[in-house]
Parts: sequence; structure tokens; C-alpha cells
Amino acid sequence: MDNLFDKLRRLRADEGDEPSVRTDGGTATDSSRSGFREFLGSDFVQSMPFWLPPFLLAGFFVYGAIGWNLLISLTDSSGFGPVDYSSLDFEMYFRAFGDPAFIEATRNTFVLLVGFIGICLVFGLLLAILIDRHIRFENTFRTIYLLPMSLSFVVTAQFWLWMYNVNNGMVNAFLGLFGLGPYNFIGNPELVLPAVIFALIWQFSGYAMVVFLASLRAIPQEHYEAARVDGASTIKMYWRVIIPQLTNAVISALVVLMVFGLKAFDFLYALVGGFQPPNGSDILPTLMVRVAFQKNQWAYGSAIAILLFLLALGVIAPYLYYEYKQGTI
Amino acid sequence: MREQDSNSTLTRRRMLQATGAAGAVGFAGCLSNVTDGGNGGGGNTLEVLHGWTGGDGKKAVNALTEGFKEAHSDVDTDFRPIGGGGNTNLNTVVSNRLSQNDPPSSFAGWPGRNLEKYDGVLGDISDVWEEEGFTDSHIQEAADLCQYNDKYAAVPIGSHRLNCLFYNQSVVDSAGVDPSSMSSIDDLVSAMETVAAETDATPMAHAMKAPWTTLQLFGVVMLSQEGYEPYMTFVEGNGGGDAVRSALETTKTILQNYISDDASQIGLTGSNEMIQNGEAAFIHQGNWAAGAYRGADLTYNEDWGFKTFPGTEGMYTFHIDSFIYPGNNPSPEATKTWMSYAGSKEAQRLFNTRKGSIPTRTDMSSDDFGPYLSETMEDFKNADQLPPTLAHGLAVSPNQLTNMKSVITENFSGPYNVEATAQGLLDVAQQ
Repeated sequence: MDNLFDKLRRLRADEGDEPSVRTDGGTATDSSRSGFREFLGSDFVQSMPFWLPPFLLAGFFVYGAIGWNLLISLTDSSGFGPVDYSSLDFEMYFRAFGDPAFIEATRNTFVLLVGFIGICLVFGLLLAILIDRHIRFENTFRTIYLLPMSLSFVVTAQFWLWMYNVNNGMVNAFLGLFGLGPYNFIGNPELVLPAVIFALIWQFSGYAMVVFLASLRAIPQEHYEAARVDGASTIKMYWRVIIPQLTNAVISALVVLMVFGLKAFDFLYALVGGFQPPNGSDILPTLMVRVAFQKNQWAYGSAIAILLFLLALGVIAPYLYYEYKQGTI
Repeated sequence: MREQDSNSTLTRRRMLQATGAAGAVGFAGCLSNVTDGGNGGGGNTLEVLHGWTGGDGKKAVNALTEGFKEAHSDVDTDFRPIGGGGNTNLNTVVSNRLSQNDPPSSFAGWPGRNLEKYDGVLGDISDVWEEEGFTDSHIQEAADLCQYNDKYAAVPIGSHRLNCLFYNQSVVDSAGVDPSSMSSIDDLVSAMETVAAETDATPMAHAMKAPWTTLQLFGVVMLSQEGYEPYMTFVEGNGGGDAVRSALETTKTILQNYISDDASQIGLTGSNEMIQNGEAAFIHQGNWAAGAYRGADLTYNEDWGFKTFPGTEGMYTFHIDSFIYPGNNPSPEATKTWMSYAGSKEAQRLFNTRKGSIPTRTDMSSDDFGPYLSETMEDFKNADQLPPTLAHGLAVSPNQLTNMKSVITENFSGPYNVEATAQGLLDVAQQ
């Protein structure tokens, strides 16, 4: 690659129109140069080695794969053997909208994503504000809150399974102190999804806290002081002055939490050791894997995957659009 | 300074160069993998995928593969255990490989209707069955189940019995229950009632983390209460709604009253440990459960006992583990050698004595199998009926099995809705 540059540079040097000592800002383009040479010298071409390989790799492995998946979802492929691409239609999508299992999984996925991301952001923000109040043992608390994130889903799923145990689980023992329960968190279809969301929030609110904390620390002390001088209460100061400055942090936390939320598949898989999660907690990723890999209905599985992709986009799109309008991204 | 600057530029360039080169090589590697279908590394190596990664299964498969390597040292072998989630991960890997037209030489799986999943990609090893005389040496039912579209596509390696009731001896003693006297599902229910009244133990250990255990319990209750014919009518998709409903009612009675509260949080291992620890009296499982008792150094007829599930005496609910032969085989000759070996006396002895299962061959002595398995082999020989197992691939197609498990999860994992479950199961059976 640098041979190419050397040659280019030599070419330029031969022309003799290049100043022997260059300023840091590079050279001004010479309008007398031929079009092709200008093209080679342009920022676009010169920067190619830096962005082209990742662009091609991501294009091929990410967007190419999504495109291929979309194509498969339009076929009727199931079982083994070559995929027949000759007749493409939206049959699988119609089938999905008429499938009660899909409707329920979509509802659960939506509840899981919104519930998990929403509560995680609020809880993370509260933790961040509390820690930002210059409490004692600040670093210790920060570490404690962040620590669950370092654990794998396989580990956390297993010990939440123990903690939710009806007979001797910690959660029921704790609730028992207040005369509540015991509740069958995993076995009761109405409790299992909130229980899973709670476990995920426990694991990832620490991450939201770290993101918010970094943002809070970037806000100049003067803003706090000015709000105080104007007579704002602590709550009003945060609500009107500080939190509005955290939008960038919200975006980055939102996107990452969304990814973790979709990875709830791992959690559910590890919880029961299979693709069939407890009644009431079936989400689109588990349904998709069951359809594709247990029933080998590749086309239907792909259609569910595309719908899941759209759902994920749908959850963050309004927020991204709002931010775009505001000019923050 | 200038010297250093230009040096550092060079280094950065070198790094870029190296990264670019590595990327290109990696990319080309991926591409070549796509184009040659992954056959590159294989050659004629015998590649067998299985899911036995721990406990009895691991010991058994290791003995089997060592035996094969000794007997056929000329064959290059690559035995690959793929663990996790029962056979979930193994099946996923196999599905992926087969759909990419990159089949392994052979993989472990259930025969019977489970083979329908592999429609179009199964090979034909009828010649192996003929040459080795497996059609005569293996029980007829096993031979039938290993065929797909009248061609042999698998070789059985062993069989577990499904209609088993295991119990903790000291718990049933202290409750004053005599398991051997039970001969119907009602006897079992009243025995569980006695256990509940007389002891602190849970009458029935049952795992509900995954739906297959409940499906399996429903299957054995149906066999016990309704008999062989209605069971077959149901699994073959010919109706039998009343029998299904009444079997579900009984299953509901058991699940509502006699299992532990935390059933939905425990799996097979957890429920089986309740028998080992004396926390529960009975458990219904396939006889792989007995492997755990052996592993925990518990003695048959002292610490734990076995009773054919009451009401299913004379039956042997049939389960088979087999090695399946995919078509477009990367190593046809070596795989056929492997298949011949897997069905042989030596292989079946090496595997089954360790796995806690029994051979599907009819001509083997029970000498090496210990007292418990010897009894099972005797029952197997004398069985009047071999109903195929519902939850383990023999009775229904993989699609139906997955759907039945969903029906159980949605309607029969507490609260128990008999009508919806019956309707769901019947609909699935008729698909």
C-alpha cells in the first residue's frame, strides 16, 4: 500500500510543481493537473485504505447477511436442500401476522425492550446522580453497581433461577419478611416476564449509570452554581438544567441497552436450558430460533428475524429522529 | 525529531500494511470456505458428532470410540462432542451443517419419525444392514425405526426404557408403601397420598423447567390408564380425544397435588437429586435417571428401587439412540465401517454398560450389565408391546414434538388447562 503512495509522491515530485517544504495543512491543489491524477490525489482515494476494508467487511457480513436473510424470508424454504429463489412473495409475513405464537412473542419482546430500557435508563440516571453527589466510598459503589455487567448471562440466569425458587429462593425469603408470597416467579405466566426484566435491569442499570456519570462529570460546575444562584431547588436544578444536557448519553445508553435487551435470548436459553422459554416469556429471538433450527422452517424463521429487526429499529427510530431534528446527532 | 517522526509514520504504514494483508487473507479464507463447501479440511476423515459431553454419556462414548480406534486403526477419526441444552446445540450444529450441504460423516440422534426432519439429506446404508446381518441380530422394532422411506438410514446404538418409576427406598418404607404391589395409576396416586400424609417428603419429584418431562409424564399416564391402543391411536393422529382428556385429568391431579412447589425452577438433575437426597418418594423418568444413582454410589434395592410404571407392566416404552447416516457423505467407506461397528456386539456392550442403557441386539448376554440392567434386558425381551416414546422422537415428527412441547408450555405448566391442552395435542398429532 505505501508503495502506491511513494509512487504517487514521486509522480508529483517529477512534475516539480510541489514545494520542497510542505506546510502542515498539505498542498493546495493545482488546477492544471489532469482529472485522473486529481482523482488519485483526492481525499476520497487517499483515505480509502482506512475506510474501505472495514466498509467492505461490514457491508458483506452485516448488510449482505441481512439482505440475504430478507431474500430467504421471501421464499418458502424449509427442510434441507437448496433454496428455491424462483418465486418470491410475502407469504411468510402474512403467516406471521396470523400466528398467535408470533403475536404473543412480539408483545413480549416489545414489553421487554420498552420495560427494560426505560426502567434501566431511569434507574441508571438516579444512581448516577446519587453517586455524583460526592458521597463517601464513591468508587466502591460505582464498582458494585457495574459489577453485575461483567457476569455472563449463563451465570446470572442460573443464579436468578435459584433466587426465584419458590421454596428456598432469596427473593421469596426477602418478600416473606414483609408477609408477602411466596410467588412462583418462573412458573407463573404473569410474573415470569417482569421477573426476567427485573433480572436484566439488575444486570445492566450499572452500565447506564456509568454512561450518565461520565456525562454528568462533563457538565461544568458553573451550571450547578448558576441554577443555585437563580434559586432553583435540587430537583428543579436537575430536571431543568442538568438532565436536558444528557441527551447524548441517553442515545448511547439506549442503543447499547437495546442490544442487551435483544440478547435476553441468552438469558432465557440458560434459564431453562433450551429454546422453549417458560410460558409467558417467549420472545421473538427464541421463537425465531425454534422455528428455524428445530422445525427447519428457514423462510418463516427469516421472516421473523426481519420483523424483529424492524421492531428494534422501530423502538429507537422515533428517538433518533427527534435527536436528528434537534441537531444533536 | 524529524527522524523519529518519519520512523513512526513507517511503523504506522507497516501496521496498516500488515492489517490489510491479514484482512485480505482472512477474507479470502472465508470465501474459499464458502466455495468448496468446507470439504477442504476433511478428506476421508470420519467425523462423528454427538452430544455426550458429561457423566455416563461421556464415559460410554469414550469407550465406544476407543474400541473403534483399536479395531480400525487405519481409519482417521474425528469424534466431536457438542454439548449444551440436552441435544439442543448438537441438533442446531447438525441442522446448520446439513443446510449448508456440509454433512458430517455421521451424527447421534433419534431414529423413527425424528428422521423426517432430515428428509432429502439421508443416505442409504441398507448394504451395511444386510452385510452385518443387523436385520436378524437387532430387534425388529429397532430395524423398522431405523428406516426412512424403506431405506436404512441409521444404526441403533442402545435403548433407554421410558416407562420407569424410581423411588427412594427409605422414604417409601417410612410411609409404609410397597411399590411392588402397585399395578395401576390409581394405586400410584393413593401411594403418593400416603407419602404426603405420612412423611415430609414430596410424593413425586418432577422437573418443569423444560416441557419434555411433563409431555413424557402425560405419555406414560396415558399408557397406564388408557392402554397401548388408544396411545397409538393418538400418536398416529387418528383422534382419541376422550382418552387424551382423561389421561390429562390424571396428570393434572398428580401435578397439582403431589409435586414440589419449585418444580418450574428445577430441571432433570434437580428433580432426580430429590430422590437421591430422600426429599421425594417417586420419580417418573427414562432409565438414564438410574445412571445418576450409580454415580452417587447408591445401591439398587437398598437406597433406590425401580418399578415398571404402574399399569404399564408388559410394556417397554421404547427409546433409541442411534447414529444417523447423511447422504452426500464426506467419507462413505469410513462411515460404513463406523456404522458396522456401532451395531456390533462389542460396540453395544462397550457403550450400553456405561451409559446405563441396553443393547437393541437380541443375542447379547446380560453378564456385564449388573442386576438392574439385566432385569431391564429381561423385560425388553419379554415385552408384549414396545410403544414408541412420545417425547423422544420415535412416535411423532420433530415438528410435531416441538409443537407439542409448546402446547404443554402454554397450557399445561400451571395453571393446568386440560381442555386447551387436549385440543392442542390432538391438533398437533393430526398435522
